[in-house]
Amino acid sequence: MVTETILQQLVLFVPELILTGTFCLILLTGAFTKLRDYGTSTLTLIGSIAAFISVLPTIGVQKSLFAGMIAIDSFAVFFKLFSLVCLIGITLFSLHAGELKLVRTRSAEYYALLVAMTLGMFLMASATHLLMMVLAMELTSLSAYVLAGYTKEAADSSEASLKYILYGAVASGLLLYGISILYGLTGSLHYTTINHVLAVEPLSRVPLALVFVLLLVGFGFKISAVPFHSWTPDVYEGAPITITTFLSVASKAAGFAMLIRFFKLVCVNPVASVEAGYSIPLLPIDWQLLLAVLAVLTMTVGNLVALWQENLKRLLAYSSIAHAGYMLIGVVSFTDKGIASVLVYLVVYLFMNMGAFLVVMVVANKTGSEDIRTYRGLGSRSPFLAIAMTVFLISLTGIPPTAGFIGKLYLFAAALDAQWYWLAFLGVLNSVLALYYYVRIIRNMFLRESESAVPNISLTSGEVLLLGALLVPTLVFGIFFSPIVEIAQKSIVMLGVP
Amino acid sequence: MTIQILGLGILSWITFIPLLGMVAVLCMPKHAHVAMKWTAAVVTLVQVILAAVIYFNFNPTLSGINTLDGMQFVERLTWIDLQSNTSFGRIHIEYFLGIDGLSMPMVLLTALISFIAVFASWNIDKALKGYIAMLLLLDTGMMGVFVALDFFLFYVFWEVMLLPMYFLIGIWGGPRREYAAIKFFLYTLAGSVLMLLAMLALYFSVVVVDPATGEKIHTFNMLAMMNPANYEPNSLLAGIGTTMRAIAYLALFIGFAIKVPIFPFHTWLPDAHVEAPTAISVILAGVLLKMGTYGLLRISYPMFPEMAQQYVVPLAILAAINIIYGALCAMAQRDFKKLIAYSSISHMGIVLLGMCALNSQGMVGAVLQMFNHGTITAMLFLIVGVLYDRAHIRDLDAFGGLALTMPKYTGVTTVAFFAALGLPGLSGFISEAFSFLGAFQNESIRLITIISTVGIILTAAYMLWTLQRVFLGHPHEKWRSLPDVSPRELFTLVPLAVIVIVLGIYPSLMINFMASSLNHLVDIVVRGSIHTTVLQF
Amino acid sequence: MLTEFGKIFIFFLLGIGLVAAGLVTAWLLRPARPYPEKRATYECGEEPIGSPWVRLNVRFYIIALIFLIFDVEVVFLFPWALVYRNLGLFGLFEMVVFLGILFVGYAYVWAKGDLSWDKPTPQIPTLHSRVHFSEGDLQTPSEQRR
Repeated sequence: MVTETILQQLVLFVPELILTGTFCLILLTGAFTKLRDYGTSTLTLIGSIAAFISVLPTIGVQKSLFAGMIAIDSFAVFFKLFSLVCLIGITLFSLHAGELKLVRTRSAEYYALLVAMTLGMFLMASATHLLMMVLAMELTSLSAYVLAGYTKEAADSSEASLKYILYGAVASGLLLYGISILYGLTGSLHYTTINHVLAVEPLSRVPLALVFVLLLVGFGFKISAVPFHSWTPDVYEGAPITITTFLSVASKAAGFAMLIRFFKLVCVNPVASVEAGYSIPLLPIDWQLLLAVLAVLTMTVGNLVALWQENLKRLLAYSSIAHAGYMLIGVVSFTDKGIASVLVYLVVYLFMNMGAFLVVMVVANKTGSEDIRTYRGLGSRSPFLAIAMTVFLISLTGIPPTAGFIGKLYLFAAALDAQWYWLAFLGVLNSVLALYYYVRIIRNMFLRESESAVPNISLTSGEVLLLGALLVPTLVFGIFFSPIVEIAQKSIVMLGVP
Repeated sequence: MTIQILGLGILSWITFIPLLGMVAVLCMPKHAHVAMKWTAAVVTLVQVILAAVIYFNFNPTLSGINTLDGMQFVERLTWIDLQSNTSFGRIHIEYFLGIDGLSMPMVLLTALISFIAVFASWNIDKALKGYIAMLLLLDTGMMGVFVALDFFLFYVFWEVMLLPMYFLIGIWGGPRREYAAIKFFLYTLAGSVLMLLAMLALYFSVVVVDPATGEKIHTFNMLAMMNPANYEPNSLLAGIGTTMRAIAYLALFIGFAIKVPIFPFHTWLPDAHVEAPTAISVILAGVLLKMGTYGLLRISYPMFPEMAQQYVVPLAILAAINIIYGALCAMAQRDFKKLIAYSSISHMGIVLLGMCALNSQGMVGAVLQMFNHGTITAMLFLIVGVLYDRAHIRDLDAFGGLALTMPKYTGVTTVAFFAALGLPGLSGFISEAFSFLGAFQNESIRLITIISTVGIILTAAYMLWTLQRVFLGHPHEKWRSLPDVSPRELFTLVPLAVIVIVLGIYPSLMINFMASSLNHLVDIVVRGSIHTTVLQF
Repeated sequence: MLTEFGKIFIFFLLGIGLVAAGLVTAWLLRPARPYPEKRATYECGEEPIGSPWVRLNVRFYIIALIFLIFDVEVVFLFPWALVYRNLGLFGLFEMVVFLGILFVGYAYVWAKGDLSWDKPTPQIPTLHSRVHFSEGDLQTPSEQRR
């Protein structure tokens, strides 16, 4: 009986199995054949496309697998497809990355770890059991630690990796501690069971508050929310830029998936919420307010510190912290609209943030520098690159007619709808603050002349195609955004949420 | 009344033709300067012709504002329509264009000023391709703001203008251009995000029932937002005179006030004006400032009538400050351009005062003043540009006796100056007189009106003093060789001068077209007369 | 009212108390006569030479890590062995897959040469210079002193 159910359930687990297979295959290929960069990246692409195709049949399925360890539902499917798109994008980025050219001999490890990280994100998005969640998070994190230090010849890359490990270890330690207390209090690691116990049994405030704070450290580390963000700038700056991009988009999204699923399933009163029509918090502490404060801190600190950055990678790191803050605005309310707005924002953020990083990468390839001064006069030296960057930055600021505006619109609308007025107000003020540093880049590109005779940056056709593939959605979704909104609205269906 | 050209409504054409021009310009080779300039000229000329067609086909009896059948040249298409599922309501955003007596003068003004701005920038050489592209994009944004009747669409157009304006000031401006450009950008964005929140609050409060399915739809439709019956009970902005409504009104007000600009949000204006190239100053003063007051009249007034009434006195006080403070600041300037910039603040104060009157005279005066100030101040900035192009300084005290060497220039300048100070017979007089007349009739702001009339004297003082300093007296040796105004410059100045004079003598050409709409607007605000429009989806 | 955690807490206290009590009693009762041999580090009766603070070859760590990974995985074999009869062929297949993945790691480690204990070939820096050096110039300062 057991074997049959497991076998039946394995059908829904095919995407993960494909990724596992790809991982092994790439490792073996790297170890035993002469295939190097193009071979392994092709394998990665094939694997991720196969996984993508195999995820498609699970759309609309709602099922709990392996004794409640993971859930297959629209929410998970959304994040699976999201991370696969990121993976494909990053693989294509990597082919053009100058930093990685020096270490082509080790490219098998690089791609294998990327695949492993994606697998971890798959599981993060679908875990409905605390143990599974921790395992998934560790799989993602461990791969990320190594990848951050992948160009180990560069001192700052090793430094980034070490810092990342230290912070990550502390964060997961605290998270585990919180989980163990929660287990002690409720006697279960299953989300739904914990939720049930919380709803039925009166539990004292202090240990629950402790659990909540400890879990928040773990989640906050993953989405780099202030005050758990201090690893982000150094790691983003030191890691190879492809990895930085992957961390700032896919890893962050997976962190959000984990956070949303946990709070939605564990900390919301399911029965009362259905009756009331909006989410009613369950814990005896005001965790929504705590999240709201976290959101405000995250976006404000991210934006304020970004104002002074000279290194673009670092600047974008702080900007990504701020964006995590914006997304937390949507999370706070835990209404369907709020969660949908986060999903909308993530899709939009995927294109604009990857685009901005791609431009930084291309410029760094040619000039060897990520300093804001190297962007002076880029508007005349390489108009296409500069215009693309401008569109991405304007979108990151949230000005129409770019997709970023739609993302912000949905987030603030969700906050207003759930009556978090002050949160929405602080959110929009922050987007004005953000304008200043994004425009600083635009100013350097167009308003200033380059200091010395710098050669023009010519783009390869591959780079142009990649840029275009990110530029078009950034603009089109700004004007015609029904598709992403529809997808987001359909993707909030979570197993166990009535 | 609708006019279709190639299956598209005339308002779409007038809005998006500059965008087509922009695409064409972007496709041209880098050094095809002549072709680019002429493309821009042709595109804006077509715009002027379309504006003229609209003007001559405009039905002055229809009132518009909050009635669908009163709107003219309406174009209404569904833009975004997401069917509702589970907890999401149906999302409905329309591509909804239309004009009435309030927006028609602005459409004319925008077309005209854009056309003139193209010729005023004929001498630009630096990165011309980018310049023309940005100018045309800006044009689309401006026109779109005045024809949009869906708040979402309005907001998109409103924001589309920011980036081109930033580049136009920041790349082609004067020495402190970077500072001025970012200041403009930050100020305007700060205002518009507040507007965004107010817009969302309105969206969540207003519900329209789809007659086909009986489904409740939230909408961005401005006309629906003007009907109190559409506000869902217990929603954010339901009711009359609630605190939430006051907050929303304030948020909208700040958004628009920054654009006008109303004291204390005005500090970006002198910087932006002084640093911007001539053509951009012309657009900035001629069209962009009007968007603030237009927004107040189009959105704040009819959607929050009780607030508009309640806050008449504070608004009038701000108007008086604008008038007098602007004039005093203008008087203290030695920089010609800065003087004109401050005079804009003063003149926009008159628009505000007229709006505060809440009666036909005041309202007509205000809208007419918006149009007239657009033409007059455009002339003034062109005049400054003419002088600056020759002398490369703008210090008023450095000049003198230019009347002897540049007689034609002096003639045009005199017309503009006298129009600006409100000399009877020129257009400025009519609108200022109407504004003050209307404001005087409103008893609650009578005292403020009386005080603000000091502004007229101050305006006369600084205008005449400037005239004296620059054109009269002994000619400086240094400026003896300045050539008189060129035919191209005359071509930009004369049409405006003609309009100024014609409207000064026969203002009905404008007033007739807007009276009906503005009366209706006054009705809405004062008597709450609402002609309910059932919106079809 | 004691919760389950409360009992554990008491257990902790008791444990700490007992150990401390034993140590303190010993400390109070025993005579203290230290001499150098007694204070030296205990090395199975041998006399210690040099400081124990030496740098170990990094290879030890790698080997230790690899050993740890493969050793810990054996833990999964025990429960599997218990229920193997119930699972049947499916169980066998599962374990083959599991060990297969493990083997991939092993193969990778092997192929990468992390299992071979080669002595590192020291790279002696050579100097290419047209300047003529005397024998003494190429010596380090400490060699010169000798």
